Amino acid sequence: MPREVEPSLNERAFVTQALQEGQRIDGRAFDQFRSLDLRLGEQHGVADVALGKTRVLAKVSAEVTTPYSDRPFNGIFAITTELSPMASPAFEVNRPTETEVLLSRLIEKTVRRSNALDLESLCLVAGQKCWSVRVDLHVLSHDGNLIDASCLAVVAALRHFKKPDTSIEGDHVTIYTPAEREPVPLSWLHSPFCVTFSFYGENGDIMLADATLLEEQLRVSSCTVSLNKHGEICQVAKLGGTAVEAISLIQCASAAVIKVKEFSALVDERLADDLKRRDKGGLLAELSAENER
Amino acid sequence: MPLDTSTYDLALLRVDGRRWNELRRLHGQIRTQAAADGSSYLEMGNTKVMCVIAGPNENAGKRGGTASSSGSTVPGGSGAADVVVSIVVGGFSSVDRRRRARGDKRTQELQATIAKALASNLHIHLYPRSTISISLHVLSQDGSLLAALINAATLALVDAGIPMTDYLVACTAGSTSTHSAGDEGADPLVDLNTQEEQELPFLTLGTLGATDKVAVLVCETRVQVSRLEGMMASAADACKGVRKFLDQVVREKGHKMVTEGTIEKGAKMAMDIDV
Repeated sequence: MPREVEPSLNERAFVTQALQEGQRIDGRAFDQFRSLDLRLGEQHGVADVALGKTRVLAKVSAEVTTPYSDRPFNGIFAITTELSPMASPAFEVNRPTETEVLLSRLIEKTVRRSNALDLESLCLVAGQKCWSVRVDLHVLSHDGNLIDASCLAVVAALRHFKKPDTSIEGDHVTIYTPAEREPVPLSWLHSPFCVTFSFYGENGDIMLADATLLEEQLRVSSCTVSLNKHGEICQVAKLGGTAVEAISLIQCASAAVIKVKEFSALVDERLADDLKRRDKGGLLAELSAENER
Repeated sequence: MPLDTSTYDLALLRVDGRRWNELRRLHGQIRTQAAADGSSYLEMGNTKVMCVIAGPNENAGKRGGTASSSGSTVPGGSGAADVVVSIVVGGFSSVDRRRRARGDKRTQELQATIAKALASNLHIHLYPRSTISISLHVLSQDGSLLAALINAATLALVDAGIPMTDYLVACTAGSTSTHSAGDEGADPLVDLNTQEEQELPFLTLGTLGATDKVAVLVCETRVQVSRLEGMMASAADACKGVRKFLDQVVREKGHKMVTEGTIEKGAKMAMDIDV
């Protein structure tokens, strides 16, 4: 089973020494993110995020199915992550590595467990029919910080997605094609974003945000904080690694609050641009099947 | 502690009669299995966990960093031991009898967390090209699962005689405020049981002994960012109490072993034992 190339002793010493002297290899500040680019696709529900050289693609799809028997009033929501050899030789198809398990657990805790998507709104006929929304996350290029990029892609894709409109008469559900009625967006409650911090040094005193692949391989510990723009923590994960001072983690959380507001503004801006681009001549207001409230 | 019918504000007592900073009944034993290199049994209230250590053993072939259903490996590289953790949650451990699949992602995440935390605490550089296997079995779940697993693993590793920097102890802490409220009167709570975990936001904190250094921090529920510091501080305090308890378990066992003649009195012991 091929393994990722480990950094050489020279690289390790160089990067660590540079960090001790307050320098990062690519010249960024310790808390500076790489250039973040979010592109929304032509089809609804496709988001492509590029964070430096890391690229992830999220695609949302929905179909009608039967709900789980123990939750008849909720729809089904699943997030699958695909790390293929395209991203790194350490990944194999259908053989989940620890990186993939942790990534998918983090995204799941951030987006699913925090109830970002209202599952009850996906229910069509209680106990019989519901929407099953599925997000497929593909990592195209791995240059560090998959978690932050993936979470952003998933949230942007879900907010961009539109499911076909339906109408219900008794037990009979009619699903309209996009030609008959304009698709409707999902019922979105809040937008959580992840920010990952990496620690270096014997006591974990040096803290970096947005580590590249090389920096990730050399870190002694990491902490991922997920918040939404209202300052609610959705999850915090410092899964082992060198012990760091508690105060550093509080600082991480505070720095994350600021960063998440930036992410939130970026996603809002891109979605608004996309909406304007599609809404040529103000037709969308005419096509929408929703009533004025 | 149900928030709707909360009686907490009246007497500041929780459902089981504890105050906010009281731990549940802790019970621990080491060397429960004579055949294993190290073993322990820990009860935190009704959460009961067993741990068995095999190691350090010689590496039987190449190992990669894959997460397999048999355990999560933290490779030690060429100069240190691999730490492999595997967790088996008994189907009878929770209220509903449920058979968990071995390769469950939640279990894998727990395994990876414990393996990484222990790998940085144990002196694994003393055992290159070896493997330390940690097997955890959950017999009963009543909240604070990750904390109990970490504490049991620490006890068993002390029994196995693997050198470490300090006890790695963990405890949970929660907050009586809801996730959107900004109330100042919200109290932190320590060592939550299942009922409290289902209703309140909580986190699990693992510290290195009695210091304030955090090795593990897991929070999976929504909580205001301002609550985080209070919860972490109470959990850190509780961890000090847990460390004291674990240390006591180890010392008592050691005392018993000497009095029963397992070790010859005066045979190369640096410390004076008051027998």
